[in-house]
Amino acid sequence: MNRRSFLQGLAGLAATSGLGSLKAFSQTPNPGFKLVDVTARAGLQFRHNSGAYGGKLLPETLGAGCAFLDYDRDGWQDILLLNGMDWPGHKRQRSTLRLYRNNRNGRFSDVTRRAGLDIEMYGMGVAVGDYNNDGYPDILITCVGQNRLFKNTGKGTFVDVTKASGLGGRSGFSTSALWFDFDRDGLLDLFICNYVKWSAEHDVFCSLDGKHKSYCTPEAYRGETCWLFHNRGNGTFEDVTATSGIFDSSSKSLGVAMLDYDQDGWPDLLVANDTQPNKLYRNLHNGTFKDVAVDAGIAFSAEGKARAGMGVDVADFDNSGTAGVAITNFDNEMIGLYRPSATGTYADVAAQSGVGLPSKDKLGFGCVFLDADLDGSLDLVSVNGHIDDTVRNVRNIGYAQSPQLFLNNSKGVFRDIASEIGSEFVQPKVGRGLAYGDFDGDGDLDILMTTNNGPAFLFRNDQVAGTRSVRVRLVGKKSNRDAIGASVRIFHGGTSQSRLVKGGSSYLSQSELPVTFGVGKRDRVDRLVIRWPSGPTEEYKDLATGRSYECVEAKGIKTLITF
Amino acid sequence: MVRADLHRSKGQGVFRANCSTRSWDQEPPQWNLIPLHCMLGGVLRSLAPGRSPTPGLILGLIITLAAVVAYSGYITFQISGLRELQNNLVDRNRKDSLQLLRIQNDLNSLGLAMRDMLDADEPYPLTAWSAQFQRVRADLNDALRLEEKVAVTTRTPEQRQYLTDSVAQFWDAADRTFALARDGKEKEARAQIRLSLQARQAALNTAVARLLVQNNESEEQAALRIRQIYDRVGRQVYLFLGATLIAIVLTSLYLIRSNRHLFAQLAALSEQRSELAQKLISTQESTLRYISRELHDEFGQILTAVGAMLGRAGNHAPEGSPLRAELREVCEIAQTTLDNVRSLSQALHPVMLDESGLESTLDWYIPTVERQAGIDISYEKSGTPFFVDGHAAIHVYRVLQEALNNVTRHSGAREAWVRLQFMPESLQLEVEDHGSGFELQAVKQGIGLVAMRERAELLGGTIEFLKPHSGGSLVRLKIPREKSDTHAE
Repeated sequence: MNRRSFLQGLAGLAATSGLGSLKAFSQTPNPGFKLVDVTARAGLQFRHNSGAYGGKLLPETLGAGCAFLDYDRDGWQDILLLNGMDWPGHKRQRSTLRLYRNNRNGRFSDVTRRAGLDIEMYGMGVAVGDYNNDGYPDILITCVGQNRLFKNTGKGTFVDVTKASGLGGRSGFSTSALWFDFDRDGLLDLFICNYVKWSAEHDVFCSLDGKHKSYCTPEAYRGETCWLFHNRGNGTFEDVTATSGIFDSSSKSLGVAMLDYDQDGWPDLLVANDTQPNKLYRNLHNGTFKDVAVDAGIAFSAEGKARAGMGVDVADFDNSGTAGVAITNFDNEMIGLYRPSATGTYADVAAQSGVGLPSKDKLGFGCVFLDADLDGSLDLVSVNGHIDDTVRNVRNIGYAQSPQLFLNNSKGVFRDIASEIGSEFVQPKVGRGLAYGDFDGDGDLDILMTTNNGPAFLFRNDQVAGTRSVRVRLVGKKSNRDAIGASVRIFHGGTSQSRLVKGGSSYLSQSELPVTFGVGKRDRVDRLVIRWPSGPTEEYKDLATGRSYECVEAKGIKTLITF
Repeated sequence: MVRADLHRSKGQGVFRANCSTRSWDQEPPQWNLIPLHCMLGGVLRSLAPGRSPTPGLILGLIITLAAVVAYSGYITFQISGLRELQNNLVDRNRKDSLQLLRIQNDLNSLGLAMRDMLDADEPYPLTAWSAQFQRVRADLNDALRLEEKVAVTTRTPEQRQYLTDSVAQFWDAADRTFALARDGKEKEARAQIRLSLQARQAALNTAVARLLVQNNESEEQAALRIRQIYDRVGRQVYLFLGATLIAIVLTSLYLIRSNRHLFAQLAALSEQRSELAQKLISTQESTLRYISRELHDEFGQILTAVGAMLGRAGNHAPEGSPLRAELREVCEIAQTTLDNVRSLSQALHPVMLDESGLESTLDWYIPTVERQAGIDISYEKSGTPFFVDGHAAIHVYRVLQEALNNVTRHSGAREAWVRLQFMPESLQLEVEDHGSGFELQAVKQGIGLVAMRERAELLGGTIEFLKPHSGGSLVRLKIPREKSDTHAE
């Protein structure tokens, strides 16, 4: 560590210990919002089943994801909660994923069976995207075993098209996944992370005491390549893993996020690997990718160590126009918070930004950037929880751990305010999946999280400071229908904010596709600039805030709702 | 020979003395008290200096400094050796080992990839691993480049060449394997992996492992050498400390011996000086007494006779004649001269001391000082008077004279107290003033106090210089009664 890093680290310590934050937050001692647990009120009666029966099988530690999606295209975000199942030979209950339809009154209805999703599978992650551009979001469920692709019929039901789409016959230990249009042909392609080569039959015996089986770390298993499937446009997919340069049999991937690393308009990918170097796949515009993670300084920690990357998110958290990165890691490894530089490299600023130290004793999984207080600066939420339920016996950290919400003071300093926004959010949980979406249509972002072998939680964001937002839902025409890969930027008062329409991110989960800009108490924004994945740029001026807009590619913009 | 000029201060009856070496034929001197320090200076200069310890001490210092310099040089040399070992061997070795571990890690990654390629449980052709190999190749090349830079000097050119050739051969084999795979000859490619690539990777791994072992051995050797240096330095430290301790002990012993010798010399010198001073004082007093008596008896009688004869001659001259007037004038001059001679005689050695004793002399002397110096002196006598002979009385008188001289010249006091106490076993004289005290007086007065002490010792008594509660000074002379009558010159 050089002297500069050390001093920056000290600055970070000061910030986290309250010295820096006192000054930085002296004008806003109140976060300006509350997160209220409305899980029961909303009717989300869900409990994850890891299938744990004492066999200590590796997938039991990883939990399952969740998603906000508008499956019925009514403009209200619905909820999908993934689930595991009992292991063969240890059947005790039937457990399936749950699809909850938004009743538009703060309550949800379980429509799983009606939607045709009442299917048992050892579900892990979810990627929602309209791969066939019919206007209705389809669902890919990653599993231990065979992944499943469910096509949305547009009639409130889903059809399993796994085999028909060419995704069948592929058994693996898949984790996060995302839809993105890597060749910009207007069709969403599919990227799937795989963790390790694992099967129940070949589970490795690991033990802490030499007698009793315990969960293994990923070092005990061989890596597994991620998969990239190219959308042929006829409902089928072509495995281009090998030809695209994605193939890497050493990867142990858990999280994936889409970004435009080199600002060339072509989507790149960032993959968080567990105990292996992270991968930054740069899109070479010819259907191939090149891993530049080492050169970009994001493959390893500052000490040159491959950390246990879990969840990942990418966003313009410093409003510089270029996306930074957050990667959750194992406890004692801290969250990696990477700020981009003009030279295409990243610097881990976790310590000096105030994120490092508070996250040091947490084992983080899902993480998302969102503007929780709608002040115009993206904040960071991470959910935490250990993988070993007996960890307390050997170390002074808990299996259940408090989620964290790092409020961004717009000056590069974050402060964990989880304990200041209501007593429910900060309660320790064995957190895994995390997603955000505005389920109640009030313009702010609510939080959905899953826990391992436990309930899911829905936290409603209640703004108390009178801040406002602008929400934009994009509909692609030449571009993919979901406009995934579109860049949206607003300008107001001499500043700007940018968002990328993206799936994936976090851990095993997917947040809503509409983008949300917090604008504080402004009534209007000067400009809204959209760069569509197909290439064209559109600009809209003098828009009122406190509204949700729908923008159709090359067609114009309209107000959906006012809040 | 030492001489002293005595200058009588006008109207004060005290003297200032300056040492000089003027010849006798300059202005005629007025002899009175010869300052003691003038006499002692000559005495001290005449004494032999004895053997000085300084050369020995300087020699010891030089030896010690030389030892420190030599030891510092030795330590510096050892530290630079350590630094060299650290920089050139240990640090470089560590960096080299890190790069070798990186190479080994890359080779292991290749090994795992080749295992996966041969397992054929992936639905991909062998070319799928091409990008993975390229990534490893880039990292491996970088590691090899860095390793070559920091490779330890013990690495032989053959070893270096072997590593370079082996890596080149591996990649050549890998390229041929992927070329076969690209041509659809998966079976041949797999055979190539099994027969050639894996073997080359294993050989490379072994070579790197050997280098790591070699580095480890070098590190152990370096550690051993460092330990030896530390041990050697440790031994030298003990030796140096021991030698220094011995040098310090020897020097201390030598210093103690020298100091004892010096103190003995000083004591002898002091005794000689005291003896000499006392003899000088006694001689001085005898001489002064003789001169005083001669002046009083001889010149006094002559002048008295001259005066009488002039008176008679004047009576024979006619009344009112100029001769008679001139004779009367000469007679008056003779009388004045007689008075001056008697006064000088009294000043040199009060005849009263021998004729009337100490008590009467003080009765005369104290009012005289009071009058001449313009200070008030309270004089008290107590006890039953006993006889103090002239030999003892002159020293008591001189002490009183010096003490009052100090009061008038240095203390700044306008009042003094003189107490003469006849005690059963001793005689005590006290002179007290409330002026500036001895600290200031001693600086100004110098040798006077020494002379008083010598006189006290001559009488077998003691003299104390005290500070009264009310400030100022108190001189207390105490002599045994038996010494007041039968003291020895």
